[in-house]
Amino acid sequence: MAIRTHHLTFPLSAESARTLRAGDMVVMSGEIVVTAGLPTHHRLLGCLDGAEPMPMDLDGASVFHLGSYSEEKSGGFEILYLNPTTSTRFNAVMPRLIKGFNWHAVGGKGGLDRPCVEALQEVGGVYLSFLGGGATLHTQAIRRVIEVGWSDMLIHYRLVRLEVENLGPVTVAIDAHGVSLYETIKASQTE
Amino acid sequence: MAITPETIKRVTADLYDRSLRFIPKDSKAALSRADSLETNETARHTLQTMLKSADQAEKSWRFVCSDSGVPVYVIKVGTQARFEGNVRKAIVDGFAELVASIQPPLLPHVTNPLTLERGHSGRHMPIVTFDMVDDCDFIDITCSPKALGSGRWSAMEIFSFPDIPTIEAYVLDVVRKAGSQPCPPVVVGVGIGGTFDYACKLAKEATLRPIGQSHAEAMVAEMEQRLLTAVNKTGFGPMGTGGDSTATAVHVDYAAGHGFTPVAVTFNCWINRRTRARLHNDGRVEVVE
Repeated sequence: MAIRTHHLTFPLSAESARTLRAGDMVVMSGEIVVTAGLPTHHRLLGCLDGAEPMPMDLDGASVFHLGSYSEEKSGGFEILYLNPTTSTRFNAVMPRLIKGFNWHAVGGKGGLDRPCVEALQEVGGVYLSFLGGGATLHTQAIRRVIEVGWSDMLIHYRLVRLEVENLGPVTVAIDAHGVSLYETIKASQTE
Repeated sequence: MAITPETIKRVTADLYDRSLRFIPKDSKAALSRADSLETNETARHTLQTMLKSADQAEKSWRFVCSDSGVPVYVIKVGTQARFEGNVRKAIVDGFAELVASIQPPLLPHVTNPLTLERGHSGRHMPIVTFDMVDDCDFIDITCSPKALGSGRWSAMEIFSFPDIPTIEAYVLDVVRKAGSQPCPPVVVGVGIGGTFDYACKLAKEATLRPIGQSHAEAMVAEMEQRLLTAVNKTGFGPMGTGGDSTATAVHVDYAAGHGFTPVAVTFNCWINRRTRARLHNDGRVEVVE
Protein backbone atom coordinates (compact mmCIF):
# COMPACT_ATOMS: atom_id res chain seq x y z
CA MET A 1 0.00 0.00 0.00
CA ALA A 2 1.37 3.39 -0.99
CA ILE A 3 2.14 5.83 1.82
CA ARG A 4 -0.20 8.81 2.01
CA THR A 5 1.78 12.04 2.41
CA HIS A 6 -0.13 15.12 3.53
CA HIS A 7 1.12 18.71 3.25
CA LEU A 8 -0.62 20.49 6.11
CA THR A 9 -0.69 23.89 7.77
CA PHE A 10 0.23 24.07 11.45
CA PRO A 11 -0.87 24.46 14.18
CA LEU A 12 -2.92 21.44 13.19
CA SER A 13 -6.67 21.67 13.66
CA ALA A 14 -8.74 18.84 15.11
CA GLU A 15 -10.43 18.45 11.70
CA SER A 16 -7.10 18.04 9.89
CA ALA A 17 -5.80 15.73 12.61
CA ARG A 18 -8.79 13.43 12.19
CA THR A 19 -8.10 13.03 8.45
CA LEU A 20 -4.77 11.36 9.27
CA ARG A 21 -4.26 7.63 9.76
CA ALA A 22 -1.40 5.91 11.60
CA GLY A 23 1.34 5.21 9.06
CA ASP A 24 0.63 8.34 6.99
CA MET A 25 3.35 10.92 6.52
CA VAL A 26 3.05 14.65 7.07
CA VAL A 27 5.02 17.60 5.76
CA MET A 28 4.32 20.64 7.91
CA SER A 29 4.36 24.36 7.26
CA GLY A 30 3.25 27.10 9.63
CA GLU A 31 3.70 27.52 13.36
CA ILE A 32 4.95 24.93 15.83
CA VAL A 33 6.19 25.12 19.42
CA VAL A 34 9.19 23.10 20.60
CA THR A 35 10.76 22.19 23.94
CA ALA A 36 12.84 19.27 25.20
CA GLY A 37 12.40 19.99 28.88
CA LEU A 38 10.56 17.85 31.40
CA PRO A 39 10.79 20.76 33.89
CA THR A 40 9.04 22.87 31.23
CA HIS A 41 6.18 20.39 31.11
CA HIS A 42 5.87 20.41 34.90
CA ARG A 43 5.80 24.21 34.83
CA LEU A 44 3.01 24.09 32.23
CA LEU A 45 1.03 21.83 34.56
CA GLY A 46 1.53 24.54 37.18
CA CYS A 47 0.08 27.08 34.76
CA LEU A 48 -3.03 24.89 34.39
CA ASP A 49 -3.31 25.05 38.20
CA GLY A 50 -2.91 28.81 38.17
CA ALA A 51 0.59 28.85 39.71
CA GLU A 52 1.89 31.37 37.17
CA PRO A 53 0.76 33.00 33.93
CA MET A 54 1.42 31.23 30.62
CA PRO A 55 4.64 32.37 28.91
CA MET A 56 2.85 32.22 25.54
CA ASP A 57 -0.53 31.14 24.23
CA LEU A 58 -0.46 27.36 23.81
CA ASP A 59 -4.16 26.73 23.36
CA GLY A 60 -4.63 24.54 20.28
CA ALA A 61 -0.89 24.64 19.60
CA SER A 62 1.21 21.94 17.96
CA VAL A 63 3.85 21.19 20.58
CA PHE A 64 6.76 18.88 19.90
CA HIS A 65 9.49 17.25 21.96
CA LEU A 66 12.25 18.84 19.95
CA GLY A 67 15.43 20.17 21.46
CA SER A 68 16.92 23.28 19.94
CA TYR A 69 19.99 25.43 20.35
CA SER A 70 19.10 29.08 19.92
CA GLU A 71 21.26 32.18 20.05
CA GLU A 72 20.08 35.72 20.64
CA LYS A 73 21.17 37.85 17.71
CA SER A 74 20.43 41.61 17.38
CA GLY A 75 17.21 41.44 19.34
CA GLY A 76 16.00 38.23 17.70
CA PHE A 77 16.72 34.53 18.09
CA GLU A 78 18.45 32.24 15.64
CA ILE A 79 18.05 28.46 15.89
CA LEU A 80 21.31 26.70 15.16
CA TYR A 81 19.88 23.18 15.34
CA LEU A 82 16.70 21.28 16.06
CA ASN A 83 16.16 17.58 16.76
CA PRO A 84 13.68 15.30 18.56
CA THR A 85 14.05 13.87 22.04
CA THR A 86 12.43 10.72 23.49
CA SER A 87 8.74 11.41 24.17
CA THR A 88 8.10 8.48 26.52
CA ARG A 89 9.89 10.53 29.20
CA PHE A 90 6.85 12.80 29.17
CA ASN A 91 4.17 10.05 29.37
CA ALA A 92 3.02 10.98 32.87
CA VAL A 93 2.37 14.65 32.11
CA MET A 94 1.11 14.53 28.53
CA PRO A 95 -2.54 13.46 28.96
CA ARG A 96 -3.33 16.44 31.18
CA LEU A 97 -1.42 18.87 28.93
CA ILE A 98 -3.02 17.50 25.73
CA LYS A 99 -6.50 17.86 27.19
CA GLY A 100 -5.81 21.05 29.14
CA PHE A 101 -4.47 22.93 26.12
CA ASN A 102 -6.26 21.08 23.27
CA TRP A 103 -3.09 20.04 21.51
CA HIS A 104 -4.05 18.53 18.15
CA ALA A 105 -0.48 17.63 17.24
CA VAL A 106 2.30 16.49 19.53
CA GLY A 107 5.43 14.58 18.63
CA GLY A 108 9.07 13.75 19.07
CA LYS A 109 10.49 10.26 18.85
CA GLY A 110 9.83 6.93 20.52
CA GLY A 111 6.09 7.38 21.07
CA LEU A 112 3.67 7.86 23.96
CA ASP A 113 1.68 5.40 26.07
CA ARG A 114 -2.00 4.38 26.19
CA PRO A 115 -3.31 7.24 28.42
CA CYS A 116 -1.75 9.69 25.95
CA VAL A 117 -3.33 7.84 23.00
CA GLU A 118 -6.70 8.19 24.71
CA ALA A 119 -6.13 11.90 25.43
CA LEU A 120 -5.26 12.47 21.78
CA GLN A 121 -8.38 10.62 20.69
CA GLU A 122 -10.47 12.76 23.04
CA VAL A 123 -9.24 16.11 21.70
CA GLY A 124 -8.68 15.01 18.10
CA GLY A 125 -4.90 14.91 18.07
CA VAL A 126 -2.01 12.98 16.54
CA TYR A 127 1.51 12.03 17.60
CA LEU A 128 4.15 12.63 14.94
CA SER A 129 7.45 10.71 14.88
CA PHE A 130 10.45 12.79 13.78
CA LEU A 131 13.75 11.36 12.57
CA GLY A 132 16.22 11.18 15.46
CA GLY A 133 19.59 12.31 14.15
CA GLY A 134 17.91 14.50 11.57
CA ALA A 135 19.22 17.80 12.94
CA THR A 136 20.46 19.18 9.64
CA LEU A 137 17.26 18.34 7.77
CA HIS A 138 14.93 19.62 10.51
CA THR A 139 16.92 22.83 10.94
CA GLN A 140 16.75 23.64 7.22
CA ALA A 141 12.95 23.93 7.51
CA ILE A 142 13.04 26.78 10.05
CA ARG A 143 11.99 30.13 8.63
CA ARG A 144 12.05 32.25 11.79
CA VAL A 145 11.71 32.29 15.55
CA ILE A 146 8.38 33.88 16.45
CA GLU A 147 8.75 33.96 20.23
CA VAL A 148 10.64 32.38 23.11
CA GLY A 149 9.04 31.61 26.46
CA TRP A 150 10.75 31.06 29.80
CA SER A 151 14.18 32.36 28.85
CA ASP A 152 15.24 31.75 32.45
CA MET A 153 15.36 28.01 31.68
CA LEU A 154 18.14 26.00 29.98
CA ILE A 155 18.33 26.68 26.23
CA HIS A 156 16.71 23.42 25.11
CA TYR A 157 14.07 23.57 27.86
CA ARG A 158 12.63 26.91 26.71
CA LEU A 159 9.40 27.09 24.78
CA VAL A 160 10.18 28.27 21.27
CA ARG A 161 7.51 29.09 18.71
CA LEU A 162 8.85 28.65 15.20
CA GLU A 163 7.66 29.28 11.71
CA VAL A 164 8.61 26.30 9.55
CA GLU A 165 8.28 25.45 5.89
CA ASN A 166 8.15 21.87 4.68
CA LEU A 167 9.35 20.31 7.93
CA GLY A 168 9.37 16.55 7.53
CA PRO A 169 8.09 14.23 6.30
CA VAL A 170 7.28 12.88 9.73
CA THR A 171 5.32 9.70 10.44
CA VAL A 172 1.86 9.70 12.02
CA ALA A 173 2.67 7.17 14.72
CA ILE A 174 -0.48 7.69 16.80
CA ASP A 175 -3.63 8.88 15.08
CA ALA A 176 -6.71 10.65 16.42
CA HIS A 177 -8.74 7.43 16.22
CA GLY A 178 -6.88 5.57 18.96
CA VAL A 179 -4.44 3.69 16.72
CA SER A 180 -0.80 3.62 17.85
CA LEU A 181 1.88 2.04 15.69
CA TYR A 182 3.86 1.40 18.88
CA GLU A 183 1.02 -0.72 20.28
CA THR A 184 0.43 -2.45 16.94
CA ILE A 185 4.08 -3.54 16.85
CA LYS A 186 4.01 -4.83 20.43
CA ALA A 187 0.77 -6.71 19.80
CA SER A 188 2.18 -8.46 16.76
CA GLN A 189 5.27 -9.75 18.58
CA THR A 190 5.34 -13.44 19.29
CA GLU A 191 7.62 -15.15 21.72
CA MET B 1 60.34 11.09 22.06
CA ALA B 2 57.04 10.73 23.83
CA ILE B 3 53.34 11.50 23.51
CA THR B 4 52.69 15.01 24.82
CA PRO B 5 49.68 16.29 26.79
CA GLU B 6 49.21 18.89 24.02
CA THR B 7 48.73 16.13 21.42
CA ILE B 8 46.34 14.19 23.66
CA LYS B 9 44.33 17.35 24.36
CA ARG B 10 44.06 18.29 20.70
CA VAL B 11 43.31 14.77 19.43
CA THR B 12 40.67 13.86 22.04
CA ALA B 13 38.83 17.16 21.47
CA ASP B 14 39.00 16.68 17.71
CA LEU B 15 37.73 13.07 17.93
CA TYR B 16 34.67 14.24 19.86
CA ASP B 17 34.04 17.17 17.52
CA ARG B 18 34.27 14.97 14.40
CA SER B 19 32.15 12.19 15.88
CA LEU B 20 29.18 14.59 15.93
CA ARG B 21 29.35 15.56 12.26
CA PHE B 22 29.40 12.36 10.20
CA ILE B 23 28.44 8.75 10.53
CA PRO B 24 31.00 5.92 10.33
CA LYS B 25 31.39 4.18 6.95
CA ASP B 26 30.12 0.88 8.33
CA SER B 27 26.95 2.58 9.65
CA LYS B 28 26.30 3.99 6.18
CA ALA B 29 26.84 0.60 4.54
CA ALA B 30 24.61 -1.12 7.11
CA LEU B 31 21.77 1.37 6.59
CA SER B 32 22.01 0.97 2.80
CA ARG B 33 21.92 -2.78 3.21
CA ALA B 34 18.92 -2.52 5.56
CA ASP B 35 17.17 -0.33 2.98
CA SER B 36 17.70 -2.98 0.30
CA LEU B 37 16.22 -5.73 2.51
CA GLU B 38 13.41 -3.78 4.20
CA THR B 39 9.86 -4.76 3.23
CA ASN B 40 8.05 -1.89 5.02
CA GLU B 41 7.70 1.19 2.80
CA THR B 42 7.66 3.74 5.64
CA ALA B 43 10.73 2.05 7.09
CA ARG B 44 12.56 2.30 3.76
CA HIS B 45 11.70 5.97 3.59
CA THR B 46 13.04 6.51 7.12
CA LEU B 47 16.28 4.63 6.34
CA GLN B 48 16.79 6.75 3.23
CA THR B 49 16.16 9.93 5.23
CA MET B 50 18.77 8.79 7.78
CA LEU B 51 21.33 8.46 4.99
CA LYS B 52 20.31 11.86 3.62
CA SER B 53 20.60 13.42 7.07
CA ALA B 54 24.08 11.95 7.55
CA ASP B 55 25.13 13.13 4.10
CA GLN B 56 23.88 16.70 4.68
CA ALA B 57 25.52 16.91 8.11
CA GLU B 58 28.85 15.78 6.68
CA LYS B 59 28.64 18.16 3.70
CA SER B 60 27.67 21.17 5.83
CA TRP B 61 29.87 19.95 8.73
CA ARG B 62 26.98 20.35 11.18
CA PHE B 63 25.78 17.98 13.92
CA VAL B 64 23.85 14.87 12.81
CA CYS B 65 21.99 14.91 16.14
CA SER B 66 21.36 17.70 18.62
CA ASP B 67 22.11 15.38 21.51
CA SER B 68 25.89 15.49 21.41
CA GLY B 69 25.82 13.24 24.46
CA VAL B 70 28.71 13.23 26.87
CA PRO B 71 32.26 12.49 25.69
CA VAL B 72 33.32 8.87 26.26
CA TYR B 73 36.79 7.60 25.42
CA VAL B 74 38.07 4.04 25.32
CA ILE B 75 41.86 4.19 25.42
CA LYS B 76 44.22 1.29 24.80
CA VAL B 77 47.72 2.04 26.03
CA GLY B 78 50.63 0.17 24.49
CA THR B 79 53.15 -1.00 27.07
CA GLN B 80 55.90 0.70 25.06
CA ALA B 81 54.08 4.00 24.65
CA ARG B 82 55.76 6.85 26.50
CA PHE B 83 54.14 9.92 28.03
CA GLU B 84 55.49 13.36 28.68
CA GLY B 85 53.11 14.73 31.31
CA ASN B 86 49.54 14.19 32.43
CA VAL B 87 47.04 12.24 30.34
CA ARG B 88 43.76 12.52 32.26
CA LYS B 89 44.14 16.30 32.71
CA ALA B 90 44.90 16.72 29.00
CA ILE B 91 41.57 15.06 28.13
CA VAL B 92 39.63 17.23 30.61
CA ASP B 93 41.35 20.37 29.26
CA GLY B 94 40.64 19.31 25.67
CA PHE B 95 36.93 18.99 26.41
CA ALA B 96 36.85 22.40 28.16
CA GLU B 97 38.56 24.08 25.22
CA LEU B 98 36.24 22.38 22.76
CA VAL B 99 33.18 23.53 24.71
CA ALA B 100 34.49 27.12 24.52
CA SER B 101 35.18 27.06 20.79
CA ILE B 102 32.95 24.52 19.00
CA GLN B 103 30.47 25.79 16.40
CA PRO B 104 27.59 25.28 16.63
CA PRO B 105 27.85 25.21 20.45
CA LEU B 106 27.06 22.10 22.51
CA LEU B 107 23.92 21.98 24.63
CA PRO B 108 24.64 21.57 28.38
CA HIS B 109 24.17 17.80 28.58
CA VAL B 110 26.65 17.03 31.37
CA THR B 111 24.38 16.36 34.35
CA ASN B 112 25.10 16.01 38.05
CA PRO B 113 23.04 12.85 38.81
CA LEU B 114 22.29 13.99 42.36
CA THR B 115 21.27 17.61 41.84
CA LEU B 116 20.23 17.31 38.16
CA GLU B 117 22.20 20.49 37.46
CA ARG B 118 23.39 20.59 33.87
CA GLY B 119 26.43 22.14 32.28
CA HIS B 120 29.57 21.28 30.35
CA SER B 121 31.77 19.78 33.04
CA GLY B 122 31.49 17.51 36.05
CA ARG B 123 32.98 14.80 38.20
CA HIS B 124 34.69 12.07 36.09
CA MET B 125 33.80 13.91 32.88
CA PRO B 126 34.85 13.00 30.17
CA ILE B 127 34.26 9.32 30.88
CA VAL B 128 37.53 7.53 30.11
CA THR B 129 38.69 3.94 30.49
CA PHE B 130 42.29 2.81 30.03
CA ASP B 131 43.58 -0.68 29.25
CA MET B 132 47.13 -1.87 28.74
CA VAL B 133 48.06 -3.64 25.51
CA ASP B 134 51.22 -5.77 25.37
CA ASP B 135 53.74 -5.53 22.51
CA CYS B 136 52.39 -2.18 21.36
CA ASP B 137 54.16 1.20 21.10
CA PHE B 138 51.21 3.56 20.57
CA ILE B 139 47.96 4.54 22.27
CA ASP B 140 44.68 3.91 20.51
CA ILE B 141 41.83 6.30 21.37
CA THR B 142 38.22 5.64 20.41
CA CYS B 143 35.63 8.33 21.04
CA SER B 144 32.07 7.05 21.39
CA PRO B 145 29.89 9.80 22.87
CA LYS B 146 26.84 8.59 24.75
CA ALA B 147 23.50 10.38 24.60
CA LEU B 148 20.20 9.93 26.39
CA GLY B 149 18.18 8.42 23.53
CA SER B 150 20.11 5.16 23.43
CA GLY B 151 21.94 5.42 26.77
CA ARG B 152 18.76 5.12 28.79
CA TRP B 153 18.01 1.52 27.78
CA SER B 154 21.12 -0.41 28.72
CA ALA B 155 20.53 -3.09 31.34
CA MET B 156 22.39 -5.78 33.24
CA GLU B 157 21.32 -8.79 35.22
CA ILE B 158 23.29 -11.47 37.03
CA PHE B 159 22.40 -15.13 36.56
CA SER B 160 23.73 -18.33 38.15
CA PHE B 161 25.05 -20.87 35.67
CA PRO B 162 22.63 -19.75 32.92
CA ASP B 163 22.29 -21.76 29.72
CA ILE B 164 22.54 -19.98 26.37
CA PRO B 165 18.75 -19.83 25.77
CA THR B 166 18.38 -18.03 29.14
CA ILE B 167 21.04 -15.50 28.15
CA GLU B 168 19.47 -14.93 24.73
CA ALA B 169 15.99 -14.57 26.23
CA TYR B 170 17.29 -11.86 28.56
CA VAL B 171 18.92 -9.95 25.67
CA LEU B 172 15.59 -10.01 23.83
CA ASP B 173 13.74 -8.82 26.95
CA VAL B 174 16.03 -5.80 27.14
CA VAL B 175 15.57 -5.15 23.41
CA ARG B 176 11.78 -5.31 23.77
CA LYS B 177 11.89 -2.91 26.72
CA ALA B 178 14.01 -0.45 24.72
CA GLY B 179 11.57 -0.95 21.85
CA SER B 180 10.95 2.10 19.70
CA GLN B 181 12.98 4.46 21.85
CA PRO B 182 16.75 4.17 21.18
CA CYS B 183 16.56 5.44 17.54
CA PRO B 184 16.69 2.08 15.76
CA PRO B 185 18.17 0.44 13.78
CA VAL B 186 20.57 0.07 16.69
CA VAL B 187 23.84 -1.69 17.30
CA VAL B 188 23.37 -4.00 20.28
CA GLY B 189 26.38 -4.80 22.45
CA VAL B 190 26.23 -7.81 24.79
CA GLY B 191 28.81 -8.59 27.47
CA ILE B 192 28.62 -11.96 29.23
CA GLY B 193 30.53 -13.18 32.26
CA GLY B 194 33.51 -11.77 34.11
CA THR B 195 32.25 -9.54 36.90
CA PHE B 196 29.54 -6.89 37.34
CA ASP B 197 31.75 -4.09 36.01
CA TYR B 198 33.61 -6.10 33.41
CA ALA B 199 30.49 -7.42 31.65
CA CYS B 200 29.29 -3.85 31.11
CA LYS B 201 32.67 -2.84 29.71
CA LEU B 202 32.60 -5.82 27.33
CA ALA B 203 29.12 -4.83 26.16
CA LYS B 204 30.19 -1.22 25.53
CA GLU B 205 33.29 -2.27 23.65
CA ALA B 206 31.29 -4.81 21.61
CA THR B 207 29.30 -1.88 20.14
CA LEU B 208 32.58 -0.45 18.87
CA ARG B 209 33.39 -3.48 16.72
CA PRO B 210 32.88 -2.75 12.99
CA ILE B 211 29.33 -3.65 11.97
CA GLY B 212 29.16 -7.09 10.42
CA GLN B 213 32.44 -8.35 11.88
CA SER B 214 31.48 -11.51 13.73
CA HIS B 215 33.11 -12.74 16.92
CA ALA B 216 36.16 -14.90 16.25
CA GLU B 217 34.69 -17.91 18.07
CA ALA B 218 32.06 -19.82 16.10
CA MET B 219 29.82 -20.42 19.12
CA VAL B 220 29.62 -16.68 19.82
CA ALA B 221 29.28 -15.76 16.15
CA GLU B 222 26.30 -18.12 15.89
CA MET B 223 24.76 -16.52 18.95
CA GLU B 224 25.18 -13.08 17.34
CA GLN B 225 23.44 -14.27 14.19
CA ARG B 226 20.56 -15.87 16.11
CA LEU B 227 20.09 -12.74 18.20
CA LEU B 228 20.22 -10.40 15.19
CA THR B 229 17.53 -12.44 13.46
CA ALA B 230 15.39 -12.45 16.61
CA VAL B 231 15.85 -8.71 17.25
CA ASN B 232 14.81 -7.90 13.70
CA LYS B 233 11.73 -10.07 14.09
CA THR B 234 10.48 -7.78 16.89
CA GLY B 235 9.24 -5.45 14.16
CA PHE B 236 10.13 -2.13 15.85
CA GLY B 237 11.90 -0.98 12.70
CA PRO B 238 13.59 2.33 11.87
CA MET B 239 12.68 5.00 14.48
CA GLY B 240 10.39 2.37 16.01
CA THR B 241 7.43 2.95 13.73
CA GLY B 242 7.59 -0.54 12.25
CA GLY B 243 9.76 -2.56 9.90
CA ASP B 244 12.32 -5.32 9.59
CA SER B 245 15.36 -3.20 10.51
CA THR B 246 15.53 -2.91 14.30
CA ALA B 247 19.27 -3.65 14.57
CA THR B 248 22.13 -3.50 12.10
CA ALA B 249 24.26 -5.72 14.34
CA VAL B 250 24.33 -7.66 17.58
CA HIS B 251 27.89 -7.95 18.87
CA VAL B 252 28.57 -10.34 21.73
CA ASP B 253 31.70 -10.77 23.80
CA TYR B 254 32.41 -12.76 26.93
CA ALA B 255 34.90 -13.25 29.72
CA ALA B 256 35.46 -16.21 31.99
CA GLY B 257 34.03 -15.67 35.45
CA HIS B 258 32.64 -17.67 38.35
CA GLY B 259 29.23 -19.38 38.31
CA PHE B 260 27.51 -16.03 38.64
CA THR B 261 27.17 -14.69 35.15
CA PRO B 262 26.43 -11.03 34.52
CA VAL B 263 24.74 -10.34 31.17
CA ALA B 264 25.00 -6.69 30.09
CA VAL B 265 23.13 -5.29 27.10
CA THR B 266 23.68 -1.86 25.61
CA PHE B 267 22.60 0.09 22.53
CA ASN B 268 23.99 2.62 20.12
CA CYS B 269 21.56 4.50 17.88
CA TRP B 270 21.59 4.21 14.07
CA ILE B 271 24.44 6.71 13.80
CA ASN B 272 26.71 4.59 16.03
CA ARG B 273 29.02 7.59 16.56
CA ARG B 274 32.63 6.49 16.62
CA THR B 275 35.94 8.14 15.79
CA ARG B 276 39.40 6.75 16.45
CA ALA B 277 43.04 7.75 16.31
CA ARG B 278 46.43 6.37 17.28
CA LEU B 279 49.15 8.44 18.89
CA HIS B 280 52.73 7.31 18.36
CA ASN B 281 55.82 8.01 20.44
CA ASP B 282 57.35 10.05 17.59
CA GLY B 283 54.47 12.53 17.69
CA ARG B 284 52.64 11.04 14.72
CA VAL B 285 48.81 11.11 14.84
CA GLU B 286 47.21 8.38 12.78
CA VAL B 287 43.51 9.03 12.20
CA VAL B 288 41.93 5.58 11.92
CA GLU B 289 38.36 6.84 11.40
